[in-house]
Amino acid sequence: MITVTINVNGEKRTASVPPETSLLRMLRDNLNLTGAKLGCDVGDCGACTVIVDGKTVNSCLMLAAQADGRTVLTIEGLATADRLHPLQKSFENYGSLQCGFCGPGVLMSAKALLDENPSPTVPDIRDALGGNLCRCTGYTKMIEAIQVAARAMRGEPAEKTA
Amino acid sequence: MRAFELVTAKDSRHAVALLAEHSASSKVRVIAGGTDLMADLHFSSHVPDVIVDISRAEDLKNIAMTGEGLSIGALVTHTQIMRSPLIRDMFPALVDAAHTIGAVQTRNLGTLGGNLVTGVPSMDSGPTLVALEAVVSIAGPAGRRQVPLAEFWLGPRKTVLKPDELLAEIIIPKQNLSKPTHFLKFGLRKGQALALVNVAASFRVDWDKNIFVAPRIALGAVAPKVIRALKAEAYLEGRTVTPEAMAEAGRVAVGDAKPISDFRASAEYRKDLVAVLTKRALEGAYELAKAKRYGEEQ
Repeated sequence: MITVTINVNGEKRTASVPPETSLLRMLRDNLNLTGAKLGCDVGDCGACTVIVDGKTVNSCLMLAAQADGRTVLTIEGLATADRLHPLQKSFENYGSLQCGFCGPGVLMSAKALLDENPSPTVPDIRDALGGNLCRCTGYTKMIEAIQVAARAMRGEPAEKTA
Repeated sequence: MRAFELVTAKDSRHAVALLAEHSASSKVRVIAGGTDLMADLHFSSHVPDVIVDISRAEDLKNIAMTGEGLSIGALVTHTQIMRSPLIRDMFPALVDAAHTIGAVQTRNLGTLGGNLVTGVPSMDSGPTLVALEAVVSIAGPAGRRQVPLAEFWLGPRKTVLKPDELLAEIIIPKQNLSKPTHFLKFGLRKGQALALVNVAASFRVDWDKNIFVAPRIALGAVAPKVIRALKAEAYLEGRTVTPEAMAEAGRVAVGDAKPISDFRASAEYRKDLVAVLTKRALEGAYELAKAKRYGEEQ
Protein backbone atom coordinates (compact mmCIF):
# COMPACT_ATOMS: atom_id res chain seq x y z
CA MET A 1 0.00 0.00 0.00
CA ILE A 2 1.07 3.55 -0.70
CA THR A 3 0.18 6.58 1.38
CA VAL A 4 -0.96 9.47 -0.74
CA THR A 5 -1.69 12.98 0.50
CA ILE A 6 -3.29 15.52 -1.78
CA ASN A 7 -4.68 18.98 -1.28
CA VAL A 8 -8.14 18.55 -2.74
CA ASN A 9 -10.62 21.41 -2.94
CA GLY A 10 -8.59 23.30 -0.35
CA GLU A 11 -8.44 20.45 2.12
CA LYS A 12 -5.55 18.12 2.90
CA ARG A 13 -6.67 14.50 2.52
CA THR A 14 -4.68 11.30 2.94
CA ALA A 15 -5.44 7.77 1.84
CA SER A 16 -3.63 4.47 1.80
CA VAL A 17 -4.09 2.82 -1.60
CA PRO A 18 -2.68 -0.08 -3.64
CA PRO A 19 -0.01 1.17 -6.11
CA GLU A 20 -2.15 0.52 -9.18
CA THR A 21 -4.88 2.91 -7.92
CA SER A 22 -5.66 5.77 -10.29
CA LEU A 23 -6.26 9.27 -8.96
CA LEU A 24 -9.87 8.84 -10.06
CA ARG A 25 -10.35 5.69 -7.99
CA MET A 26 -8.76 7.30 -4.98
CA LEU A 27 -11.02 10.36 -5.26
CA ARG A 28 -14.14 8.27 -5.64
CA ASP A 29 -13.49 5.23 -3.46
CA ASN A 30 -11.23 6.58 -0.73
CA LEU A 31 -12.19 10.23 -0.44
CA ASN A 32 -15.88 9.87 -1.36
CA LEU A 33 -15.58 12.56 -4.00
CA THR A 34 -17.79 10.92 -6.61
CA GLY A 35 -18.26 14.01 -8.79
CA ALA A 36 -15.55 12.98 -11.24
CA LYS A 37 -17.05 10.09 -13.18
CA LEU A 38 -15.61 6.79 -14.30
CA GLY A 39 -16.52 6.49 -17.97
CA CYS A 40 -14.09 4.83 -20.33
CA ASP A 41 -11.18 4.60 -17.82
CA VAL A 42 -8.66 4.99 -20.67
CA GLY A 43 -8.55 8.74 -21.29
CA ASP A 44 -11.01 9.07 -24.16
CA CYS A 45 -14.26 10.36 -22.63
CA GLY A 46 -13.09 13.07 -20.22
CA ALA A 47 -15.79 12.34 -17.60
CA CYS A 48 -13.01 11.99 -15.01
CA THR A 49 -11.44 15.39 -15.76
CA VAL A 50 -10.06 17.20 -12.71
CA ILE A 51 -7.58 20.05 -12.39
CA VAL A 52 -4.15 19.18 -10.97
CA ASP A 53 -1.83 22.09 -10.23
CA GLY A 54 -3.88 24.31 -12.52
CA LYS A 55 -4.06 21.93 -15.48
CA THR A 56 -6.83 19.58 -16.53
CA VAL A 57 -5.97 15.91 -16.58
CA ASN A 58 -7.81 12.64 -17.08
CA SER A 59 -7.71 11.42 -13.49
CA CYS A 60 -8.12 7.86 -14.77
CA LEU A 61 -4.71 8.11 -16.47
CA MET A 62 -2.83 9.40 -13.43
CA LEU A 63 -1.71 7.09 -10.68
CA ALA A 64 -2.82 8.32 -7.25
CA ALA A 65 0.84 8.16 -6.24
CA GLN A 66 1.71 10.60 -9.02
CA ALA A 67 -0.67 13.14 -7.46
CA ASP A 68 0.95 12.87 -4.01
CA GLY A 69 1.70 16.33 -2.66
CA ARG A 70 -0.15 18.10 -5.45
CA THR A 71 -3.20 20.35 -5.54
CA VAL A 72 -6.37 18.90 -7.02
CA LEU A 73 -9.63 20.65 -7.83
CA THR A 74 -12.71 18.55 -8.53
CA ILE A 75 -16.27 19.53 -9.39
CA GLU A 76 -17.08 19.45 -5.66
CA GLY A 77 -14.73 22.40 -5.19
CA LEU A 78 -16.36 24.60 -7.80
CA ALA A 79 -19.46 25.83 -5.95
CA THR A 80 -19.62 27.18 -2.42
CA ALA A 81 -22.39 26.17 -0.03
CA ASP A 82 -24.55 29.13 -0.98
CA ARG A 83 -23.47 29.96 -4.52
CA LEU A 84 -22.96 28.10 -7.77
CA HIS A 85 -19.91 28.90 -9.87
CA PRO A 86 -20.89 31.21 -12.78
CA LEU A 87 -20.25 28.31 -15.17
CA GLN A 88 -22.63 26.05 -13.27
CA LYS A 89 -25.25 28.80 -13.14
CA SER A 90 -24.89 29.37 -16.84
CA PHE A 91 -25.10 25.65 -17.69
CA GLU A 92 -28.29 25.54 -15.61
CA ASN A 93 -29.78 28.58 -17.36
CA TYR A 94 -29.00 27.28 -20.82
CA GLY A 95 -30.01 23.67 -20.28
CA SER A 96 -26.50 22.62 -21.26
CA LEU A 97 -26.73 19.22 -19.60
CA GLN A 98 -29.34 16.51 -19.87
CA CYS A 99 -28.15 13.27 -18.30
CA GLY A 100 -25.25 15.15 -16.78
CA PHE A 101 -22.72 12.32 -16.74
CA CYS A 102 -20.16 14.31 -18.74
CA GLY A 103 -20.96 17.51 -16.83
CA PRO A 104 -18.32 17.42 -14.07
CA GLY A 105 -15.59 16.88 -16.66
CA VAL A 106 -16.93 19.47 -19.08
CA LEU A 107 -17.21 22.06 -16.31
CA MET A 108 -13.64 21.45 -15.14
CA SER A 109 -12.37 21.80 -18.71
CA ALA A 110 -14.34 25.03 -19.07
CA LYS A 111 -13.07 26.32 -15.73
CA ALA A 112 -9.44 25.66 -16.68
CA LEU A 113 -10.02 27.38 -20.02
CA LEU A 114 -11.47 30.53 -18.44
CA ASP A 115 -8.73 30.62 -15.81
CA GLU A 116 -6.16 30.93 -18.60
CA ASN A 117 -8.22 32.71 -21.23
CA PRO A 118 -11.05 34.93 -19.93
CA SER A 119 -12.22 35.78 -23.46
CA PRO A 120 -12.17 32.56 -25.47
CA THR A 121 -13.38 32.40 -29.05
CA VAL A 122 -15.71 29.59 -30.12
CA PRO A 123 -12.77 27.67 -31.64
CA ASP A 124 -10.91 28.09 -28.34
CA ILE A 125 -13.90 26.61 -26.49
CA ARG A 126 -14.24 23.75 -28.95
CA ASP A 127 -10.55 22.97 -28.55
CA ALA A 128 -10.89 23.06 -24.76
CA LEU A 129 -13.83 20.62 -24.88
CA GLY A 130 -12.14 18.32 -27.42
CA GLY A 131 -11.42 15.77 -24.69
CA ASN A 132 -14.93 15.71 -23.23
CA LEU A 133 -17.47 13.48 -24.92
CA CYS A 134 -21.16 14.26 -24.54
CA ARG A 135 -23.59 11.75 -26.00
CA CYS A 136 -26.95 13.38 -25.29
CA THR A 137 -27.13 17.18 -25.08
CA GLY A 138 -24.50 18.00 -27.65
CA TYR A 139 -22.03 20.81 -27.46
CA THR A 140 -23.87 23.87 -28.81
CA LYS A 141 -25.58 24.76 -25.55
CA MET A 142 -22.38 24.16 -23.62
CA ILE A 143 -20.49 26.55 -25.85
CA GLU A 144 -23.22 29.18 -25.43
CA ALA A 145 -23.21 28.75 -21.67
CA ILE A 146 -19.42 29.06 -21.49
CA GLN A 147 -19.51 32.28 -23.52
CA VAL A 148 -22.17 33.73 -21.23
CA ALA A 149 -20.31 32.66 -18.09
CA ALA A 150 -17.10 34.16 -19.45
CA ARG A 151 -18.88 37.45 -20.02
CA ALA A 152 -20.32 37.38 -16.49
CA MET A 153 -16.90 36.56 -15.02
CA ARG A 154 -15.39 39.49 -16.89
CA GLY A 155 -18.03 41.67 -15.22
CA GLU A 156 -19.80 42.49 -18.46
CA PRO A 157 -23.58 42.71 -18.67
CA ALA A 158 -25.44 39.63 -19.87
CA GLU A 159 -26.41 39.57 -23.49
CA LYS A 160 -29.11 37.47 -24.99
CA THR A 161 -27.55 34.82 -27.22
CA ALA A 162 -30.00 32.02 -27.88
CA MET B 1 -5.93 -3.86 -13.21
CA ARG B 2 -3.45 -6.40 -11.85
CA ALA B 3 -1.13 -5.29 -9.07
CA PHE B 4 2.41 -4.15 -9.66
CA GLU B 5 5.12 -2.64 -7.54
CA LEU B 6 5.57 1.11 -8.00
CA VAL B 7 8.90 2.83 -7.44
CA THR B 8 9.47 6.54 -7.87
CA ALA B 9 12.61 8.04 -9.38
CA LYS B 10 13.92 11.35 -8.02
CA ASP B 11 15.83 12.17 -11.20
CA SER B 12 17.07 10.50 -14.38
CA ARG B 13 20.13 9.01 -12.73
CA HIS B 14 17.95 7.46 -10.03
CA ALA B 15 15.56 6.20 -12.72
CA VAL B 16 18.36 4.39 -14.51
CA ALA B 17 19.53 2.87 -11.22
CA LEU B 18 15.99 1.66 -10.50
CA LEU B 19 15.69 0.20 -13.99
CA ALA B 20 19.00 -1.62 -13.59
CA GLU B 21 17.99 -2.91 -10.18
CA HIS B 22 14.59 -4.27 -11.25
CA SER B 23 14.99 -5.20 -14.91
CA ALA B 24 17.38 -8.07 -14.19
CA SER B 25 14.71 -10.19 -12.54
CA SER B 26 11.33 -8.64 -13.40
CA LYS B 27 9.33 -7.14 -16.22
CA VAL B 28 9.62 -3.39 -15.82
CA ARG B 29 7.79 -0.52 -17.48
CA VAL B 30 8.32 3.22 -17.12
CA ILE B 31 5.47 5.63 -16.45
CA ALA B 32 5.72 9.32 -17.30
CA GLY B 33 2.45 11.02 -18.27
CA GLY B 34 0.67 7.69 -18.25
CA THR B 35 -1.55 8.43 -21.23
CA ASP B 36 -0.38 5.36 -23.13
CA LEU B 37 0.68 3.08 -20.29
CA MET B 38 -2.46 3.39 -18.16
CA ALA B 39 -4.66 2.55 -21.14
CA ASP B 40 -2.29 -0.31 -22.04
CA LEU B 41 -2.59 -1.81 -18.59
CA HIS B 42 -6.33 -2.16 -19.10
CA PHE B 43 -6.16 -3.85 -22.46
CA SER B 44 -2.95 -5.82 -22.23
CA SER B 45 -2.38 -9.06 -20.41
CA HIS B 46 1.29 -8.11 -19.99
CA VAL B 47 1.06 -6.14 -16.80
CA PRO B 48 4.59 -5.46 -15.57
CA ASP B 49 5.87 -6.58 -12.19
CA VAL B 50 7.41 -3.19 -11.50
CA ILE B 51 6.63 0.30 -12.76
CA VAL B 52 9.23 3.04 -12.43
CA ASP B 53 7.54 6.43 -12.10
CA ILE B 54 9.78 9.07 -13.65
CA SER B 55 7.19 11.87 -13.58
CA ARG B 56 9.07 13.66 -10.78
CA ALA B 57 12.46 13.70 -12.52
CA GLU B 58 12.80 17.48 -12.88
CA ASP B 59 16.05 17.18 -14.86
CA LEU B 60 14.06 15.76 -17.79
CA LYS B 61 11.66 18.69 -18.03
CA ASN B 62 13.80 21.38 -19.65
CA ILE B 63 13.70 23.05 -23.03
CA ALA B 64 17.05 24.72 -23.67
CA MET B 65 19.63 25.75 -26.25
CA THR B 66 22.86 23.84 -25.81
CA GLY B 67 26.10 23.56 -27.78
CA GLU B 68 24.54 20.69 -29.72
CA GLY B 69 21.28 22.42 -30.65
CA LEU B 70 17.83 22.63 -29.16
CA SER B 71 17.40 20.17 -26.33
CA ILE B 72 13.94 19.03 -25.24
CA GLY B 73 13.72 16.87 -22.12
CA ALA B 74 11.83 13.62 -22.49
CA LEU B 75 9.28 14.69 -19.86
CA VAL B 76 8.33 17.93 -21.59
CA THR B 77 4.57 17.73 -22.14
CA HIS B 78 2.79 18.47 -25.41
CA THR B 79 1.23 21.52 -23.73
CA GLN B 80 4.70 22.80 -22.76
CA ILE B 81 5.84 22.41 -26.35
CA MET B 82 2.84 24.39 -27.56
CA ARG B 83 3.64 27.21 -25.12
CA SER B 84 7.43 27.35 -25.31
CA PRO B 85 8.43 30.74 -26.79
CA LEU B 86 11.67 29.17 -28.05
CA ILE B 87 9.88 26.37 -29.92
CA ARG B 88 7.10 28.64 -31.18
CA ASP B 89 9.72 30.89 -32.69
CA MET B 90 12.04 28.28 -34.18
CA PHE B 91 9.75 25.36 -34.97
CA PRO B 92 6.07 26.23 -35.35
CA ALA B 93 5.69 22.77 -36.92
CA LEU B 94 6.42 21.18 -33.53
CA VAL B 95 3.71 23.35 -31.99
CA ASP B 96 1.23 22.35 -34.70
CA ALA B 97 2.12 18.68 -34.26
CA ALA B 98 1.71 18.85 -30.48
CA HIS B 99 -1.66 20.55 -30.91
CA THR B 100 -3.01 17.65 -32.97
CA ILE B 101 -2.28 15.11 -30.22
CA GLY B 102 -5.24 13.86 -28.17
CA ALA B 103 -7.04 16.62 -26.32
CA VAL B 104 -6.14 19.22 -23.68
CA GLN B 105 -6.16 16.72 -20.81
CA THR B 106 -3.91 14.23 -22.57
CA ARG B 107 -1.61 17.00 -23.83
CA ASN B 108 -1.24 18.23 -20.25
CA LEU B 109 -0.20 14.76 -19.12
CA GLY B 110 1.46 13.20 -22.14
CA THR B 111 5.14 13.77 -22.78
CA LEU B 112 7.24 14.06 -25.91
CA GLY B 113 9.45 11.21 -24.74
CA GLY B 114 6.44 9.02 -24.06
CA ASN B 115 5.03 9.64 -27.52
CA LEU B 116 8.34 8.60 -29.09
CA VAL B 117 8.96 5.60 -26.83
CA THR B 118 5.46 4.17 -27.29
CA GLY B 119 6.41 4.09 -30.93
CA VAL B 120 3.09 3.76 -32.70
CA PRO B 121 3.60 4.47 -36.41
CA SER B 122 0.95 7.23 -36.41
CA MET B 123 2.55 9.22 -33.59
CA ASP B 124 2.28 12.95 -34.25
CA SER B 125 5.58 13.96 -32.64
CA GLY B 126 7.62 11.79 -34.96
CA PRO B 127 7.55 13.26 -38.48
CA THR B 128 8.65 16.82 -37.64
CA LEU B 129 11.52 15.59 -35.49
CA VAL B 130 12.63 13.04 -38.09
CA ALA B 131 12.52 15.71 -40.81
CA LEU B 132 14.70 17.88 -38.56
CA GLU B 133 17.14 14.97 -38.13
CA ALA B 134 16.67 14.93 -34.38
CA VAL B 135 18.90 12.77 -32.23
CA VAL B 136 17.82 11.12 -29.01
CA SER B 137 19.99 10.90 -25.95
CA ILE B 138 19.54 7.64 -24.07
CA ALA B 139 20.55 7.29 -20.43
CA GLY B 140 21.85 3.91 -19.29
CA PRO B 141 24.01 2.39 -16.58
CA ALA B 142 27.19 3.28 -18.54
CA GLY B 143 26.14 6.88 -19.20
CA ARG B 144 24.55 8.48 -22.22
CA ARG B 145 24.50 7.32 -25.83
CA GLN B 146 23.01 9.08 -28.83
CA VAL B 147 20.95 7.57 -31.63
CA PRO B 148 19.39 9.32 -34.62
CA LEU B 149 15.64 9.38 -33.98
CA ALA B 150 14.97 7.73 -37.35
CA GLU B 151 16.95 4.71 -36.10
CA PHE B 152 15.37 4.73 -32.63
CA TRP B 153 12.38 2.65 -33.74
CA LEU B 154 12.69 -0.94 -34.86
CA GLY B 155 9.01 -1.32 -35.74
CA PRO B 156 5.58 -0.65 -34.28
CA ARG B 157 5.98 -0.16 -30.52
CA LYS B 158 9.57 -1.41 -30.68
CA THR B 159 12.62 0.74 -29.96
CA VAL B 160 16.33 0.25 -29.45
CA LEU B 161 15.93 0.95 -25.71
CA LYS B 162 17.31 -1.83 -23.53
CA PRO B 163 15.40 -2.74 -20.36
CA ASP B 164 17.80 -0.69 -18.24
CA GLU B 165 17.78 2.38 -20.50
CA LEU B 166 15.70 5.53 -20.53
CA LEU B 167 15.01 8.08 -23.23
CA ALA B 168 16.31 11.28 -21.65
CA GLU B 169 16.47 14.03 -24.20
CA ILE B 170 15.59 14.90 -27.79
CA ILE B 171 18.07 17.12 -29.60
CA ILE B 172 17.45 19.05 -32.81
CA PRO B 173 20.94 19.56 -34.20
CA LYS B 174 22.45 23.01 -34.52
CA GLN B 175 22.52 23.04 -38.33
CA ASN B 176 18.74 22.65 -38.43
CA LEU B 177 17.79 25.39 -35.97
CA SER B 178 14.97 27.50 -37.41
CA LYS B 179 14.95 25.42 -40.59
CA PRO B 180 11.59 26.13 -42.26
CA THR B 181 9.41 23.11 -41.51
CA HIS B 182 5.73 22.39 -41.84
CA PHE B 183 3.64 19.59 -40.31
CA LEU B 184 0.27 18.33 -41.49
CA LYS B 185 -1.95 15.60 -40.14
CA PHE B 186 -5.03 14.08 -41.61
CA GLY B 187 -7.31 12.39 -39.08
CA LEU B 188 -10.99 11.60 -39.16
CA ARG B 189 -11.75 14.29 -36.56
CA LYS B 190 -9.94 17.32 -35.21
CA GLY B 191 -9.79 16.09 -31.63
CA GLN B 192 -8.69 12.73 -30.27
CA ALA B 193 -8.10 11.11 -33.64
CA LEU B 194 -5.11 9.11 -34.81
CA ALA B 195 -3.45 10.22 -38.04
CA LEU B 196 -4.39 8.38 -41.21
CA VAL B 197 -1.27 10.02 -42.57
CA ASN B 198 0.95 12.72 -41.13
CA VAL B 199 3.75 14.48 -42.94
CA ALA B 200 6.51 16.95 -42.15
CA ALA B 201 8.52 18.77 -44.80
CA SER B 202 11.61 20.82 -44.14
CA PHE B 203 14.06 22.61 -46.42
CA ARG B 204 16.07 25.75 -46.90
CA VAL B 205 16.15 27.78 -50.09
CA ASP B 206 19.25 29.04 -51.88
CA TRP B 207 17.68 32.36 -52.84
CA ASP B 208 20.35 33.27 -55.41
CA LYS B 209 19.60 30.14 -57.41
CA ASN B 210 16.04 29.65 -56.12
CA ILE B 211 16.69 25.95 -55.45
CA PHE B 212 15.82 23.49 -52.67
CA VAL B 213 18.63 22.91 -50.20
CA ALA B 214 18.63 19.89 -47.86
CA PRO B 215 14.99 18.92 -48.35
CA ARG B 216 13.74 16.47 -45.74
CA ILE B 217 10.35 14.81 -45.80
CA ALA B 218 9.07 12.46 -43.10
CA LEU B 219 5.92 10.36 -43.30
CA GLY B 220 3.92 8.81 -40.46
CA ALA B 221 1.29 6.06 -40.39
CA VAL B 222 2.37 4.65 -43.76
CA ALA B 223 5.09 2.21 -42.65
CA PRO B 224 5.98 0.22 -39.51
CA LYS B 225 7.64 3.39 -38.21
CA VAL B 226 8.03 7.04 -39.15
CA ILE B 227 10.09 7.08 -42.34
CA ARG B 228 11.96 9.55 -44.50
CA ALA B 229 10.66 9.92 -48.06
CA LEU B 230 14.11 9.51 -49.53
CA LYS B 231 13.06 9.34 -53.18
CA ALA B 232 11.09 12.56 -52.87
CA GLU B 233 14.01 14.23 -51.09
CA ALA B 234 16.40 13.17 -53.83
CA TYR B 235 13.98 14.50 -56.44
CA LEU B 236 13.93 17.93 -54.81
CA GLU B 237 17.60 18.36 -53.88
CA GLY B 238 19.04 21.19 -55.98
CA ARG B 239 15.85 21.54 -58.05
CA THR B 240 14.30 24.93 -58.78
CA VAL B 241 11.56 25.82 -56.29
CA THR B 242 8.26 25.74 -58.19
CA PRO B 243 4.71 24.64 -57.34
CA GLU B 244 5.09 21.90 -59.96
CA ALA B 245 8.21 20.53 -58.28
CA MET B 246 6.38 20.37 -54.95
CA ALA B 247 3.41 18.57 -56.52
CA GLU B 248 5.73 16.11 -58.25
CA ALA B 249 7.62 15.49 -54.99
CA GLY B 250 4.26 14.54 -53.47
CA ARG B 251 3.72 11.96 -56.21
CA VAL B 252 7.26 10.63 -55.79
CA ALA B 253 6.73 10.35 -52.01
CA VAL B 254 3.92 7.86 -52.65
CA GLY B 255 6.65 5.47 -53.80
CA ASP B 256 8.39 5.86 -50.45
CA ALA B 257 5.25 4.95 -48.48
CA LYS B 258 4.22 1.40 -47.69
CA PRO B 259 0.83 1.85 -46.06
CA ILE B 260 -1.50 -0.90 -44.91
CA SER B 261 -5.29 -1.03 -45.11
CA ASP B 262 -7.09 -1.07 -41.79
CA PHE B 263 -10.45 0.01 -40.38
CA ARG B 264 -9.43 3.67 -40.52
CA ALA B 265 -8.44 3.86 -44.17
CA SER B 266 -7.38 1.79 -47.16
CA ALA B 267 -3.78 1.70 -48.33
CA GLU B 268 -4.88 3.31 -51.57
CA TYR B 269 -6.49 6.23 -49.76
CA ARG B 270 -3.41 6.68 -47.60
CA LYS B 271 -1.25 6.84 -50.74
CA ASP B 272 -3.44 9.60 -52.14
CA LEU B 273 -3.11 11.43 -48.83
CA VAL B 274 0.69 11.13 -48.97
CA ALA B 275 0.78 12.91 -52.34
CA VAL B 276 -1.52 15.73 -51.26
CA LEU B 277 -0.15 16.25 -47.76
CA THR B 278 3.49 16.16 -48.92
CA LYS B 279 2.78 18.82 -51.52
CA ARG B 280 0.95 20.99 -48.98
CA ALA B 281 3.62 20.50 -46.32
CA LEU B 282 6.26 21.62 -48.82
CA GLU B 283 4.14 24.66 -49.68
CA GLY B 284 3.79 25.46 -45.98
CA ALA B 285 7.52 25.20 -45.42
CA TYR B 286 8.10 27.46 -48.42
CA GLU B 287 5.76 30.12 -46.98
CA LEU B 288 7.80 29.99 -43.77
CA ALA B 289 11.06 30.24 -45.70
CA LYS B 290 9.81 33.34 -47.51
CA ALA B 291 8.56 34.93 -44.29
CA LYS B 292 11.90 34.24 -42.65
CA ARG B 293 13.81 35.76 -45.56
CA TYR B 294 11.58 38.81 -45.50
CA GLY B 295 12.11 39.09 -41.72
CA GLU B 296 15.88 38.91 -42.12
CA GLU B 297 15.92 41.62 -44.77
CA GLN B 298 14.11 44.05 -42.49
